[in-house]
Amino acid sequence: MSLKRITKELNDLGRDPPTSCSAGPVGDDLYHWQASIMGPPDSPYAGGVFFLSIHFPTDYPFKPPKISFTTKIYHPNINANGNICLDILKDQWSPALTISKVLLSICSLLTDANPDDPLVPEIAHIYKTDRAKYEATAKEWTKKYAV
Amino acid sequence: MSRLPKLSEQIQNVSDPRDFLRTKLPELVDLDTLLRCHICKGFIKTPVLTPCGHTFCSLCIREYLNRELKCPLCLAELRESMLRSEFLVNEVIASYVGLRSKLLEIARNAPDVTVPHSDTSLIEIAPGDGGAHETSGDDDDLQIIETRESRPAKRNAETIGAFSKKPRLGSEKPGITSMIGKSKSPALPEDSAECPICQKHFPLEFLQRTHLDECLTMGSLGAATNSTSPSNPVNASIEPAHSIQPATRHVSEPLVPADITHSNRYMESGQNQGVARLAKLNFSSMSLQQLKAKLTSLKLSTTGSRQQLINRYNHYEMLWNSNFMDSIEPVEERELRRKLASWEATHNSLEGTPKKGNISKLLKKNSITRIKDFKTDRFDRKGWILAHQQEFKELLEEARYNLAKGSKMKDATSNHDVSQDPDHADSHPSNASYEKGEIPSNQLVVKTEEISTSSQNTAGI
Repeated sequence: MSLKRITKELNDLGRDPPTSCSAGPVGDDLYHWQASIMGPPDSPYAGGVFFLSIHFPTDYPFKPPKISFTTKIYHPNINANGNICLDILKDQWSPALTISKVLLSICSLLTDANPDDPLVPEIAHIYKTDRAKYEATAKEWTKKYAV
Repeated sequence: MSRLPKLSEQIQNVSDPRDFLRTKLPELVDLDTLLRCHICKGFIKTPVLTPCGHTFCSLCIREYLNRELKCPLCLAELRESMLRSEFLVNEVIASYVGLRSKLLEIARNAPDVTVPHSDTSLIEIAPGDGGAHETSGDDDDLQIIETRESRPAKRNAETIGAFSKKPRLGSEKPGITSMIGKSKSPALPEDSAECPICQKHFPLEFLQRTHLDECLTMGSLGAATNSTSPSNPVNASIEPAHSIQPATRHVSEPLVPADITHSNRYMESGQNQGVARLAKLNFSSMSLQQLKAKLTSLKLSTTGSRQQLINRYNHYEMLWNSNFMDSIEPVEERELRRKLASWEATHNSLEGTPKKGNISKLLKKNSITRIKDFKTDRFDRKGWILAHQQEFKELLEEARYNLAKGSKMKDATSNHDVSQDPDHADSHPSNASYEKGEIPSNQLVVKTEEISTSSQNTAGI
């Protein structure tokens, strides 16, 4: 079941790639993918390319895929290990979601951070109190790690 | 492990709604999308309806509801008992799946199909080519059952028979045909001609427009020698496409009068009264003895750990309820047990561990718990072999891939080998893997020996 579904998603991504994202298996293991996201133009991450690793559980799609950033990024909902705090990757996961939709959600998380449910409270604090500083740091990190 | 070469093939074989995008009927993309399950992304098998109005495969949604009690699409609260089977949708999808490859073929090749015309000519042109290769790639589980009873073939053929009946009947009664004909062109009943293939008389218009193609395609599919005169331009464009398709057996009898069409099946469908729903059990209050007694009463194996027994019951309960509560045509218990066996082979004892350590798992399974099974007369030998076929194949491929890598052979050639003779590999695993001559590391020797012994175990008993 999981393998068939993953194959279908791969096929889907190949035929209709979502804008500014791409994803595909690493080597010959269909359960381990790599994805890239272009920093959204209306965000401090513009111009950067961020890589993510995707691990499908064997009971996918009943369990959510494990997705994490491998590129360092300055964001209130993404920590130093690249873990992402996103509801649809946890309790709000639904088997009707696809990798393509999840990647788009991550894209919109980059544009609109959610400082009220932060993974890195320090960044969230700066985001809320000194937006300019947050944007400057985010831009700097993007330049340093993602270009 | 060497999935890479198969990957591209796999992807090519995946059916996708966008198959219709570059055809004359791109509108079908939408229909094709709608008929798919949002959980498995395949065509919906045994559809069930939720109170919130969404439809999924019975097994998909039941499996999901074992984990979360909500609808995957709208997140509304949902319980298994709320699911209702949808026989009509089942038949609609079955009917569409049967027609899909044909539709695709015609939508791709038709020189100028306008929608009003296509309604009849689409169905008329190529009878008998059921979506065999489409479904075989797509709906493994469904297909296994159905091919055993050789049902899809028959059903497809019959459906087509039922559809094409109308125009054919009409053509035999000149009155009706002429009435239809007059409205479009002055095709009179005396304007009829003999079909060079089947020697029957048809109105010229009908003969040229649809019948010739039909006769020719049937001829070329059933017996390739028949189609000697591809004079018709429409036909010429269709012919080569059809020759690619496997000439499946059922095409030889596409004109058998339809007695079980999808609509008939729907009309005759009814709730299954005889079989009771299998209840969910509260395992925490059950002793191991009680659990075993329950499994025995269902004629299931009682070997394995407590957790394995629980998993076994839970999965069987799901299969059972999906089959007897939701399916329009329930299969026998025996078949359910076979499915359970093949599920267990891939899931139950491998729970929670990543895919990689296949070998040790297989060994563990074989050597300790499962060997006991072989001695009981309940042991489902065929099911076991069938269930493990894939694992053996995978292991062999893995071993050979490593072997090839170790001896610095090019990936391409080794992969080619692997994909060429998967069947050989099953019967002579050790020979096949030693054929390459060099054995790069001790570990590999152990691996291949293990594989061969374990597969001999299964074959021998």
